[in-house]
Amino acid sequence: MKVNFFHLMPYPYLPDDFDDVEKYPSPSLTFSNAHFDPAIGVDLYHRYLDELEYAEAVGFDGIVVNEHHQSAYGTMPSPNIMAAALARRTSRATIMVLGNAIPLRGNPLRVAEEIAMLDHLTKGRLLSGFVRGIGWEHFGHSINPADSRTRFNEAHDLIKKAWTEPGPFSWYGEHYEYRYVNIWPRPLQQPHPPIAVPGAGSPETMRWVAENHYTYVSVYAPTKVVKTWFDGYRSAAADLGYVPEPEKIGMALPVFVGEDDASAHREARPYVEWLFHRGLRQGLEIVFPPGYMSPAAMRGLLKANLKAYPELSYEELLEHGYVVVGGPEQVRNRLGELRDELGFGQLMAMLTIGAMPADMVRRNTEIFAREVIPELRKAPVPVSS
Amino acid sequence: MTVTDADPATPAIQRRDAGSGEIAYRRAGQGHPVLLLHSAGGANEWGPLQLGLVATGDLIAPDHPGFGLSDDLPEIHTVDDLVYHYLDLLDGLGLAQVDVVGMSFGGWVAAELAVHSPERVRRLVLGAAVGLRIPEAPVADLFLMNPPQLMRALFHDEALVSAALSVPPTTDQILATYRDLGALARFGWHPFLNDPKLERRLHRISAPTLVLAAGEDRLVPRAHAERYAARLPDAELQVVPDCGHALHGERPAEVTAAVVEFLGRSS
Repeated sequence: MKVNFFHLMPYPYLPDDFDDVEKYPSPSLTFSNAHFDPAIGVDLYHRYLDELEYAEAVGFDGIVVNEHHQSAYGTMPSPNIMAAALARRTSRATIMVLGNAIPLRGNPLRVAEEIAMLDHLTKGRLLSGFVRGIGWEHFGHSINPADSRTRFNEAHDLIKKAWTEPGPFSWYGEHYEYRYVNIWPRPLQQPHPPIAVPGAGSPETMRWVAENHYTYVSVYAPTKVVKTWFDGYRSAAADLGYVPEPEKIGMALPVFVGEDDASAHREARPYVEWLFHRGLRQGLEIVFPPGYMSPAAMRGLLKANLKAYPELSYEELLEHGYVVVGGPEQVRNRLGELRDELGFGQLMAMLTIGAMPADMVRRNTEIFAREVIPELRKAPVPVSS
Repeated sequence: MTVTDADPATPAIQRRDAGSGEIAYRRAGQGHPVLLLHSAGGANEWGPLQLGLVATGDLIAPDHPGFGLSDDLPEIHTVDDLVYHYLDLLDGLGLAQVDVVGMSFGGWVAAELAVHSPERVRRLVLGAAVGLRIPEAPVADLFLMNPPQLMRALFHDEALVSAALSVPPTTDQILATYRDLGALARFGWHPFLNDPKLERRLHRISAPTLVLAAGEDRLVPRAHAERYAARLPDAELQVVPDCGHALHGERPAEVTAAVVEFLGRSS
């Protein structure tokens, strides 16, 4: 099992009346950036980068950054910049960019170039994730959600070819046309940095990730639903005649380890609630704008009939496996159960939960590294659940 | 405004090859041909407006590609593509000149069609049409609305809103609406329901045009109808009072009467 530290870099300082959902339907897209205080922001960025560096120091296998736009939920419009900031301050951990939202890019070659540069800056410690971008980001960047999947596919194909085939070559696609593709530098890792793609149940994504032998990562769903996703991915791989290694299956999960079970819940609850009730307050219309989902994926989503995140109580979040909180022993056991049930070999532990203060994150990281990671590394991951 | 296939008076759906698939349309009535280009929510609709047009002419009512019962036809990707799609349809049906009635999104397509081939359009009706870029009076972002917000934006009469929201939709209805709105996004996400070049081309339209505005339109500000009326060489503006953007969905009798009366005038 590989254990990674996943940061969202939220902006925790929401107004006191943020629970007024009419006034603030979401912390994303329409939540005014007048609420972003640069004097606070500057300290936050450095604090968050310190947390990622600390994670390497205490033994995490990887440190993870991601991309979000126009949101207090996550303040990394460019994950590549964060990866660059980490590249020369770290020396061992895999730096996971999870990922670049390639449909949002007007020029995907820029992503190919930046990732290739990062591969050199990290001396080959880079993992390159690709994501669609959330619905609201298609509003924010004026990208047609009805084009999102075809833009994703074409940008991916172009980037991969730019990394792996000698240039110059030309590219004539539905969305992009280049007469000269010839990126300098080429990536260090050959044939290219490993690729990971998050999924949320879309059968097209499972099949596509399996076809490419990429890592499939789940985010924010009940255990029983994540199981259907991972099973779907494994079954797509089986149809192609192979069994994915456990490390090709990743689970992103907020985790808090306290001194003991009771104090852990007391401490973590407000931050878990911040994440799900405030950070993830977002109507379906901004998450899945028209055209963003295929009819099959939309049907699956309606059938799953999941509650919106803000409607889930703290107890439900724990019970259904959206988060893991407890003393060291409880967290070890719970993660072990999830690993055995779901068969993931990469854990993307989100240890900065919502508005959690720095000292608490530091303690969470330290206890997790000392009390949980060794145990997770010891036990084998079942190849098939 | 709903389809009543059980009603023997409802003409059967017909299908025609178009590009990579088929489109669905209904055709009924006798007289001068009328092409009805539906709104984003108006695919596969058969109601008072259609009946009124059938009574006075030869109505051709297709579902746009990606909407209603038509196939996706993903190669048709812009309103410009839709113009050629409808020119192909008119050619295929052997119709040299038609009246064109376009509602909301369909009004945009109708205006672009008449700009492209003015000689193919005898009389034109633009009902609460989008299509113009007016930054100081933008069309409301319907893509950002949840279903209750969208209903309140479409209908002025709160009783109609409550009635529409009182029955929870089936999964198939949700998916059909999601598909129609996805097709609207395909054509109108960016630029947002407008063609920046349309306004300066409107002078090409030769057909007498009825510009219909809803008196209480919460989606498309009045400035759009006024701009159309001002830029078109031969236009008259009529406002339907106490009516939301849905026009014939909210005031079927008044809107149908206005359209039928206008098309019936000798030109």
